[in-house]
Amino acid sequence: MPPAPPASPPDSLNAKVPIVRPAEPRRSIKVWVVWGFVLIAMAWAFLGTQFNPVALVTSSPKMAQLLQQAYPPDFTTITDPSIYSKPPELTLWQLLDPVPLGGDLGDIKARWWANVFPQTVVGATIQTIQMALAGTALAVVFAFPLSFLAATNTSPNKWLYHAIKLTVNFLRTIPDFAIGLILIAGIGLGAFTGTVALAFHTTTVLIKLFAEAVEGIDGGVVEAIQATGARYMQVIAYAVVPQVIPAFISFILYRFETNIRAAAVLGLIGAGGIGFILKSDFSLFRYPEAATTVIVLIVLVMLVDYTSARLRKAVI
Amino acid sequence: MTTPDLLLDVKGLEKAYKPGVPILQGVNTTFRPGEFVVLLGLSGAGKSTYLRCLNRLVTPTTGQILVPRQVIDHHGSGMLDLCQANNSELRLWRRKVGMIFQHFNLVKRLSVLDNVLAGQLGYAGLWKGSLRLFSKAEKDRALYNLERVGLIDQAYQRADTLSGGQQQRVAIARALMQSPALILADEPVASLDPKRSVQILDILHRVAMEDRLTVIVSLHVLELARAYGHRMIGFAGGKVVYDGPTAGMDTAVIARIYDQEGTDDAPSPSRVTARLS
Repeated sequence: MPPAPPASPPDSLNAKVPIVRPAEPRRSIKVWVVWGFVLIAMAWAFLGTQFNPVALVTSSPKMAQLLQQAYPPDFTTITDPSIYSKPPELTLWQLLDPVPLGGDLGDIKARWWANVFPQTVVGATIQTIQMALAGTALAVVFAFPLSFLAATNTSPNKWLYHAIKLTVNFLRTIPDFAIGLILIAGIGLGAFTGTVALAFHTTTVLIKLFAEAVEGIDGGVVEAIQATGARYMQVIAYAVVPQVIPAFISFILYRFETNIRAAAVLGLIGAGGIGFILKSDFSLFRYPEAATTVIVLIVLVMLVDYTSARLRKAVI
Repeated sequence: MTTPDLLLDVKGLEKAYKPGVPILQGVNTTFRPGEFVVLLGLSGAGKSTYLRCLNRLVTPTTGQILVPRQVIDHHGSGMLDLCQANNSELRLWRRKVGMIFQHFNLVKRLSVLDNVLAGQLGYAGLWKGSLRLFSKAEKDRALYNLERVGLIDQAYQRADTLSGGQQQRVAIARALMQSPALILADEPVASLDPKRSVQILDILHRVAMEDRLTVIVSLHVLELARAYGHRMIGFAGGKVVYDGPTAGMDTAVIARIYDQEGTDDAPSPSRVTARLS
């Protein structure tokens, strides 16, 4: 057992050391003002949204009814082979073989993949993954070189740095579904539109994340490589890139996860993928089918999160 | 190629990172080829900034740094003022000047060999250098330089698996890879224990003799400075307070170097120059 601390310091200390008691700080009125502001802001927000807990309670039977209608989920939207409506001209192998077919059969195959397959839950899910993959990949291609110009320590020119930073900061404020809405007006409905919207928004986010990683590197290594007479791009490739690669990969995986969700939302506005199926299910009051789609979406997001977490661990 | 009489002629060198806060105040020094010179001084005395002016990682506020054009170009003649030099002239000078740092500054995630090959970047093509595509001859030279510092067996290890002393030897090999005329060493042993310190300075001294290199090394330990330097330059408060043979260091000189008010708040040049330009 450790010795008990003395209850009070020895008397000699108390007696002999004269102390000048410093003035105790007063509790400032600022604290009360800040609290007041916070409370007013909260009241303002809840009033503005017409927040109504009673409505939550009174509407609960209606919601329960809806859930009841959705139960049991109708898994035939996945399992029923007739949904996939294979064109009679093609064998199953010809349909699934990734090598393109020529001639009329090729046209039928292309049409099936472009129009029929994405109308199924499985097809739309695959399309959502494809949108997220392609959108993220495209964003990496643009964000990678630009991020070095958008980092204070690697930008070759102060004005270029500010110009890129300002532009990217502005563009990043546009949410991806807003970009989707604009692009749908221009390009039209479909997965391509969704992919471009994802790529655009992800580029602006990745530039910011990448640039911050670049700004956190050990500048001594940059100095050392510069001192060998290396040129700008060589310094970036030799001194900067090896330092930021783990962070970059982690950010790319994180954005891929986010883009899976975003791709699903983009479907709701008509830009392809599983969100589109979900929207059709709801607008046709097909609740058991909608339940299946929601379950698939949940499983998809969980799988992607799990996989990317594993990958990230392997990288770092 | 005849050896030039002077490798560096520094005139009236001044540097202030912030206006009114000079780090270097009117430094005049000359260096002859083959000299092994020790810079001695307290932290903040201006040694690091001075060394970084010599390869222009730091841009001096005023002054001249004259170097023979012959060093950067076989057909060159006359002197080049580094303070007036354009970017390509600066790169040509830098690739003839190896630099060694207190914190080694290796690329930790690359192999030892790739780190040594970084010394070749000034001579390599833009893309080949960026993609680390080096010829067999270049790799052989890198291995040879690793052999000279006694680390050839670690060539394919990642740099961050080595001890501090080993990392500094890799840094020396990287500098040698540049076929330098001059090596600048900024507190190369300040992060090492006394035994490793002696080992590093021994290697530096040996390769300098073998390749007839000029070496300018900053130290703050008097005993090491005495053991290795032929010539000593004492810095205090951004000024040269002694420049002469090591033997001429008497207590008065040492007092002038060490009895300065510390300037710990002086900006570290490595922080300031971390910006790429």
